[in-house]
Parts: sequence; C-alpha cells; structure tokens
Amino acid sequence: MKKNILFLVLLTGIFTACEKDDFCIENPVTSRLIIDFYDDTNRETLKNVQRFSIIAEGKTDSLFVNTTSNSIAIPLNSLTQETRYTLKKNDENGAEVDDKIATFTIQYDTEEEFVSRSCGFKVIFNNLEFSSNTNSWITDFTPTTIINLDDQSAAHVQIFH
Amino acid sequence: MYKYFISICLLFVFAENFSQEQKKDNIIPQEKDTVVYKTNYGLRLGMDISRPIFSSLYSNYNGLEIVADYRIKKNVYIAAEIGFEEKTSIEDYSNSTSKGNYIRLGLNYNAYDNWLDMNNEIFVGYRYGFSLFNQTLNNYTTNVSDMENGSYFPAVLNTVGQASTSLNTHWSEFMIGIKAETLHNLFIGFSFSYKILMSVKDPENFMTLFSPGFNRIFESNTGFGINYTISYLIPFSKK
Repeated sequence: MKKNILFLVLLTGIFTACEKDDFCIENPVTSRLIIDFYDDTNRETLKNVQRFSIIAEGKTDSLFVNTTSNSIAIPLNSLTQETRYTLKKNDENGAEVDDKIATFTIQYDTEEEFVSRSCGFKVIFNNLEFSSNTNSWITDFTPTTIINLDDQSAAHVQIFH
Repeated sequence: MYKYFISICLLFVFAENFSQEQKKDNIIPQEKDTVVYKTNYGLRLGMDISRPIFSSLYSNYNGLEIVADYRIKKNVYIAAEIGFEEKTSIEDYSNSTSKGNYIRLGLNYNAYDNWLDMNNEIFVGYRYGFSLFNQTLNNYTTNVSDMENGSYFPAVLNTVGQASTSLNTHWSEFMIGIKAETLHNLFIGFSFSYKILMSVKDPENFMTLFSPGFNRIFESNTGFGINYTISYLIPFSKK
C-alpha cells in the first residue's frame, strides 16, 4: 500500500511537471509603428482617413481594408532593413477612380532582445528613417527619424493629409 | 410531557457526564521500561531512481544522482546529493539545452518516533545547492506576431547555437520526505522539495531556463523537485 502511494505521488510528479504554466501575455512583444493621421490645414486635430487600406510591398493581404481611422499600428519586417507600405484612401464615394495612393517607407536597423521564457525574443528597431513619395495624399509627416522603436505608449509618427 | 422534552434530554446529557468521571486514586505506578532498542548508525549510500526513469521516458532529459547521508544524532542526518543533469527546454520561441553538475548539502531531521528497533523516517530537511553548467541556445525565433494581425511578416528560425559556459546557480531547498527500511539496511525513500533561487548567472541576452539540480526556474525564481531513492546503509556502529 505504501509503495502504491509512492508510485502515485511519483506519477503525479511526472505529469504535473509537464504542464505549461506560463503564457505570453504581452501583446505585441515586438513593437509596432503607430501612426496618427492629422488634418493638413488644422494641424492640431486628428483627421480620419476615409476608406483606408494599407498593404506592405511584396504582400498579397492587406492589414486594413476600407476602414475609417485616424490611428494605425503597423508591424515592420524584422528580416529586412526596409518596409514599404502602400496606403490608399478614398474621400469620395468609394469609386475606384477616386482612390488616392501613397507610399510610406521605413528604413531601420534591427536588434534582438530577450524578453522572457514564454514571450521569447523581441525585435527593437533602431535608427528609423521615414519617407513618402512626393505628389501623394500625404502632404507632410513628422518626425522624419526616430532613434528607436521599443514602446507602444504613444504614436511614433504624425501624418498630415 | 412534550413541553419538557428538551429539558429531559438535557438531564440525560448531564447524567452521562457524571458516569464518565473516573476515580483517580487507584492507578498503580508502573516501573519505567529500561530496555533500549539500538539502531544502526553509519553511512547510507544510494541513488535516485527517478532520474534514470525520466531519462528513458523523455528524449530531452538525461540525469543521474548519487545520494548519501550520515547519521550524527538519533534524529539528525548530514545529507548530500551529487548529480548530473542535461535538459533541453522546448519553449514556444526558443530551444535551449542546459547541461552540468550539481551538489546539494544539508541536514535531515527525522520527526518520526520509531517502534522498537525499527529505523524508518518521516523527515524534514534543508539543503544548500550549487550547480555549475553550460547552456546552449540551440535555436530561436523572434516573436514578431501580434493578436490583431497575426504574423504579417515572417520570422525565421535562427539556428546560431549560442553557447554560454560556466554559468552557475545557488539555491536553498526545503525538503519533506519519507524513508522506509524495506529489507535489512536497504531503504526506499521519497521526498519532495521546494527550492528558492539565491543567485543565478544568466547567459547574455538570454536567461537560464533550467539549472541542473534545481530543475526548471519559474518566474518567481522558485523551483520544485522530487527524489525517489534506493539506498543502502553501511553500518558503522549500533547505538
């Protein structure tokens, strides 16, 4: 009987030792770039982008499709030194001829940093430089560079349109 | 009659109480038992048999542990464990192998009153543990996904093999366990231990996920362990 109890305790030890006990609760682990959209003339006020879609170069699926928003969080590609997004807005009635296209390019260096057992490694983006194509619906943006991207508490870039 | 039903019940309760009272003046004083049962003192050597079992059950674990204790007083034992462990920790975003040796040193106190010349134990113990090991980060993927978009951009599996040598941990350990003499001088024991990490030397830009002797290091710097031992007592003297 005593041995049976010992065996049971041993078995319990085996099975409980394998239970997963921690989950990564940070979201996201790797910071995304937060962009706020402001009004071009009245530069203190946020302005919604109508029927907004965004897609990264080389991707076939969009991050946002036909949404109305004044703030977006977009991931950067950690495997390259540059991520180029194509942004579409449509202020008119949604007809395809009225689509306005702009590209927004982010260049950076990457650095990997360990977070925790369950979350693994995150990517910190350093020396970010922003640029957009001329003659697009993006009239202006600020700042043009940031030193690193490693938090999600505030917007990183303001785009005026 | 029914009006006094409860009162009558109470009367019986009191009556019973009186009947339980003992007369104290007729207890005969007994003579003290002078027979002393002697038990063996000596060095007890053995091994942990759970570790070879785990080694055969799990492909990511290898381990061996030698246990020893020496009885210094009726209820007090000096105890030590020396072992080797290798474990691959497979996590969601990393795969790493820890490999090294450890020693645990301390005391066991037997809280069990044995009958006659029996020599069983229900013990509590304390250990100081020290481990010296290497940890290799076999591969990892960066965590670039998020809940809203999933993995929009891919993450590659990095198979760099970062090896970190001469890492160490120090810890304190509280044990509770039993030992039973199943055959003459042959003991089977089981114990459970709770470990508190005192210091750890982590690899650069990574952490120690598993330390030999300590097992998995939990977020709160604590750990758990079990021992299932077979040991043989080499008797030196009988006291």
